[in-house]
Amino acid sequence: MVSARRILAILIKDLRDAGRDGRILLLLLMPIGLAVFYNATLPNAHELPTAQVAVVDADGRGVARELRTAAGNSVNVEVQNTRNRLAARTLVAAKDVDFAVVVAPTQRRGPARAEILVSEGASPTAQSVIALVPDALTRAAGRAPAAQTQVRVVAATHRKPGDMLESRELTVLLMVVLLLVFVAMMVVPIQIAEEIETGTLGALRLAAPGPEILAAKALAGFLYGLAGVGLIVLLTQLHVHDPLLFFGAAFALIASLVGFGLMMGLLWPNSAAINTYAGFLTLPLIGLAAAALFVDPGAFATILDLLPFPQATKLLADGLSPHTPFHAGLGSWAVIATWALLGYLILARIASRREI
Amino acid sequence: MRAASAISTRSPVEIEDLTKDYGDVRALDGVSLQTAPGEIFGLLGHNGAGKSTMIRILTGRAKPTSGRVRVLGHDVPRDLQAVRGQINLVADTPNVYERATAKENLELFCGLYGLPRSRALEALEHVRLGSVAERKVKTFSTGMRQRLLLARALLNSPRVLFLDEPTRGLDPRSARDLHQTVTALAAGGTTIFLTTHNMNDADELCQRVAFLAEGRLVALDTPRALKLSLTNRAPEVEVVLDDGTQARLKLDKPPDAAALQELIAASRIRSMHSLEPTLADVFIHLAGRSLEDDRAEETDQW
Repeated sequence: MVSARRILAILIKDLRDAGRDGRILLLLLMPIGLAVFYNATLPNAHELPTAQVAVVDADGRGVARELRTAAGNSVNVEVQNTRNRLAARTLVAAKDVDFAVVVAPTQRRGPARAEILVSEGASPTAQSVIALVPDALTRAAGRAPAAQTQVRVVAATHRKPGDMLESRELTVLLMVVLLLVFVAMMVVPIQIAEEIETGTLGALRLAAPGPEILAAKALAGFLYGLAGVGLIVLLTQLHVHDPLLFFGAAFALIASLVGFGLMMGLLWPNSAAINTYAGFLTLPLIGLAAAALFVDPGAFATILDLLPFPQATKLLADGLSPHTPFHAGLGSWAVIATWALLGYLILARIASRREI
Repeated sequence: MRAASAISTRSPVEIEDLTKDYGDVRALDGVSLQTAPGEIFGLLGHNGAGKSTMIRILTGRAKPTSGRVRVLGHDVPRDLQAVRGQINLVADTPNVYERATAKENLELFCGLYGLPRSRALEALEHVRLGSVAERKVKTFSTGMRQRLLLARALLNSPRVLFLDEPTRGLDPRSARDLHQTVTALAAGGTTIFLTTHNMNDADELCQRVAFLAEGRLVALDTPRALKLSLTNRAPEVEVVLDDGTQARLKLDKPPDAAALQELIAASRIRSMHSLEPTLADVFIHLAGRSLEDDRAEETDQW
């Protein structure tokens, strides 16, 4: 019978040991550090220009709401509701706001009216929002606009899904994948290989069945991965559009790779060699994950679609970006689950042959 | 070879016709033996004779190719779970967590055995490591590591304790301490199953020893009976004369026997020792070479 107590004891030991092993600390902290570095140095293309507006709307006709709606996703309109014209003027004079809209009291007939108070040298962003005021006012008044406009929809040029990610999102996403691949293909194998090298695995096996030991090692890998991804999101303050999808994809990726990582540690029980040479294996994996974001449909794309890390990368991108660039669905989850199952089945076979 | 059939059926360790193959290599070949409760049982053999394989099988870390192994009445490895908490092992390598403290090392195993964490400190005190409980193991000497291994092996108060080369690398004092601990454990009812290269360990500690050569059991008896079994050797004495000279005299040779009689008559002998066969002599006789040869090979490899 599986004992949660024993698994927990080994898990705690592994977590503590990881904190004391310089190799593992470096592998965990490097992707996090790189993510923070790139996040701090790359421009944020999605950062909206802001216009601060004071609104005097005594009749409560919703001018502020309409102004925000009119600005849409192009300008972030920050509204400060103000009691009267004098207060609004003071704010404009003090440059606490870019401009003020003072809505005239309701009249039965005639157009809706408003006075706009704007400071000297108003920014282009403020000017662009000022241009939206008549339309917002008309909508708030519930009357037909004074002039009709014709809207033409211009078709967007073809963009690869990866292009929908801004540079900060892209680099942080790749650092997340790097972290998860490092954890699964280096940290987890190093920890189990060292146990075999030093003979401590034999000592553990006297007190706990092999599957419990492997389960604890796998859990440690999941924890390193998810905690690292959480830390990346926290430190970069990146807005994750769909956290459930994003963290679910991160978990799926780490879960699908950890079985292979454990297998690597059993087959190659030399922690120093893994630390030195496994990088040659992990870097191409990162390359394939990055390729999945930009590759055109074709044979290569089909091959990538059959691998877990490109699929997980697509899911991570969908979770991260509000544009849901890939619309990856059940197929992606199925590919990852299949690889995970395959990994653990082979691991079980190898562990049995090695009498673990 | 004397059979061990007189031993109770409640033997803590029972091995019947045990065979273990690693590919084409036969590590153990039809080995059968039993131990008695509270017995100190020694297994001797060259490197590669199959000693460690046998310990691995008895502790459930390797599966027999054929044959039957029972520990405390349970089939191993099939019922390993039933005996896991009742056996323990001091391995031939210091398999401890170097980056952890001595206390953390033992607390891990307290967690695995479901024991209170306070047991860790008690065990460290027992092996005189209480004062260094919070020190990282990587700073420990060989003797301290060996004591830590012993403390870990005693955590769960095992009914059967396996010791794989327990005195390797130990200084004489640490080796003597280990002998005392092992003797006390056996007196308390713990069955000790040890493998060793050290004939003195085997002779001093073990109630019975088994010789393993190329996977086969070639002898199993008490050390005294094994030594007495070497009857083809002529009685021999070593004498030290009053002028300090030493001489070895074989009593089956008439000139040596006459010389001894003359020395006795002339009262020229300061001391005289009979040279009985040692356990090492018995081993060389049965296995063809000394266990010391293994040590020389190990040294050459370094």
